Amino acid sequence: MNHVNPNREGHLKRIQATIARMPSLSTTAVRVLEACNDPQASANDLQRVISLDPVLTGRVLKLINSAYFALGQPITSLTRAIIMLGINTVKNLALSFAILKNMKGSGSFHAFTTDEFWLHCLGVGVVAKSLAGLKGLSPAEQEAYFVAGLLHDLGKLPLNKQFPEEYFRVCQSSGKEHDPFRLSEDRMLGIDHCKVGAMIARRWRLGVSLVETLSHHHQPDDSTENSRDLVSTISLANQIAIELKIGTAGDCISDKAMLDQLTDRVGVDYGILGDFHQSVCGEIEKARIFLEIVQK
Amino acid sequence: MRIKFWGVRGSIPSPGPNTVKYGGNTLCLELRLQDQGRLIIIDAGSGIRELGDRLSFSKNAKDPLNTEIFLTHTHLDHILGLPFFAPIHNPRTRLKIYGPVTCEEDPLEDVIGGQLSYRYFPLRQHELGASIEYIDLKEGNFDIGQGVTLITKYLNHPLLTLGYRIEYGNKAICTAYDTEPFYNLFCTDPSDPSYDEFLASEGDGAVKDENRRMEAFFKDADLLIHDGQYTQTEYDSGKRGWGHSPIEYVIAAARRANVKRLAICHHDPMRTDSQLDELSQLFCNEGIEGDKVIFFAREGQEVKV
Repeated sequence: MNHVNPNREGHLKRIQATIARMPSLSTTAVRVLEACNDPQASANDLQRVISLDPVLTGRVLKLINSAYFALGQPITSLTRAIIMLGINTVKNLALSFAILKNMKGSGSFHAFTTDEFWLHCLGVGVVAKSLAGLKGLSPAEQEAYFVAGLLHDLGKLPLNKQFPEEYFRVCQSSGKEHDPFRLSEDRMLGIDHCKVGAMIARRWRLGVSLVETLSHHHQPDDSTENSRDLVSTISLANQIAIELKIGTAGDCISDKAMLDQLTDRVGVDYGILGDFHQSVCGEIEKARIFLEIVQK
Repeated sequence: MRIKFWGVRGSIPSPGPNTVKYGGNTLCLELRLQDQGRLIIIDAGSGIRELGDRLSFSKNAKDPLNTEIFLTHTHLDHILGLPFFAPIHNPRTRLKIYGPVTCEEDPLEDVIGGQLSYRYFPLRQHELGASIEYIDLKEGNFDIGQGVTLITKYLNHPLLTLGYRIEYGNKAICTAYDTEPFYNLFCTDPSDPSYDEFLASEGDGAVKDENRRMEAFFKDADLLIHDGQYTQTEYDSGKRGWGHSPIEYVIAAARRANVKRLAICHHDPMRTDSQLDELSQLFCNEGIEGDKVIFFAREGQEVKV
């Protein structure tokens, strides 16, 4: 039986506690540990492995943006963050979170598996980067779009970790009744993943564009004009990933009206979906091979 | 402002017959704002022991002592002298200790206090006599009272490390150690299998920006105290990435930034007095040592700004 949870304050406290110590994903943890424990690991290896992990990418950006608050402009480039922080600092940061994950375990993933969630995030990142390429954006902007896509669903992790049973029911309800996912979250938990995502992005000082992406990727019209291109593109990439069934983050049904509207707005042809399927699967396969090489 | 170098050596205290002239103590600087008698200490390497003895036991010692210590970072050679700094055992001492946080975001008190435990030292942190307040610093611009402005800047070292720029009465003293020039960490060789064109060019852009920011940090400083542990040849022979600078680069950067005087410090523990004299002949201007525009800092040396 669905119900509005009366203890919203208590929920918020639990969510904030998870945000403060958010564990990394088990899919990438082994590779992260391997790369960070290898004194010979190159910056290219490190960039690659971190860019496959939404939590770790977020933590690196959090460190750079909170430490370097004098910069004025938030840094959303993982590549730049690695140059500024140095390999050792990034490795130490990555290791501390990978270890935390191992201690905590990943048993709370009932609603969707860690691998499915990782695939969805990576898929949205890869599609967003491809869309940015089609729009003629620079390689640095394409990286920013990839990062925004990779991080867009971070808000689901604290909800899934703190309320695994309720979240499982949210996912079931959304799958059966074509019930908008965020409304189910709000009805059963008193908060949705977009609001939690905004909390994370603000707390981690990820900058306005990422706050808006995590907050408005289901309603890009609510974003400010400065961020609307980015948020609309991530929103479209999300719908494409759902439509193409690239992993899942609980929300399994794409919004056709939104897909039509966003393809128009972003300025791409609906027919590109077929092309995307092949190229995105190719990218994801490469990422899988990269992760599995070490797990053997 | 007046600076006195109580320790100029890097990495580990290096006493012995080969380090008598330049000194073997690790880094510690005493900064006096003479017209207000304010004392600021930068780093607590082994050099801080003698400074502490002078503050506690000399004829002119003032009790109570009320001072600030700014730690550039928490590598051992920059904090190992703190337990032997006599004033911390005096209940009338008031200390503020500033320093950067680590990437794990542990508070400075825990990081510094870690060496004040029975396994390393006979006293625990809470058994010290002095009242100590720890203040975590990040990059920024701070008014630290009495007309003194503190500007902090992250350097390039394997641990988050802050450079300090202290401005007072139209004069500026800057510290930039331990650090090395930012360089592209990503593969830039197109024939290497791991080469990625975007990473290589983005890395180049970030390096240029960061090295420019570094020079802006010490621009027009009246005195820059900079890491110069290696010669360029040594740096190029496997020392890149260790977080210390080649002397030639530092001199060129200081000139570009219109620095008035440059003190090179964090001397390698293997560097002998005669080698430092030779480097001094090679790199420093002629004239009386105290007036030199570029000089290799020496323990006990005082410089007025």
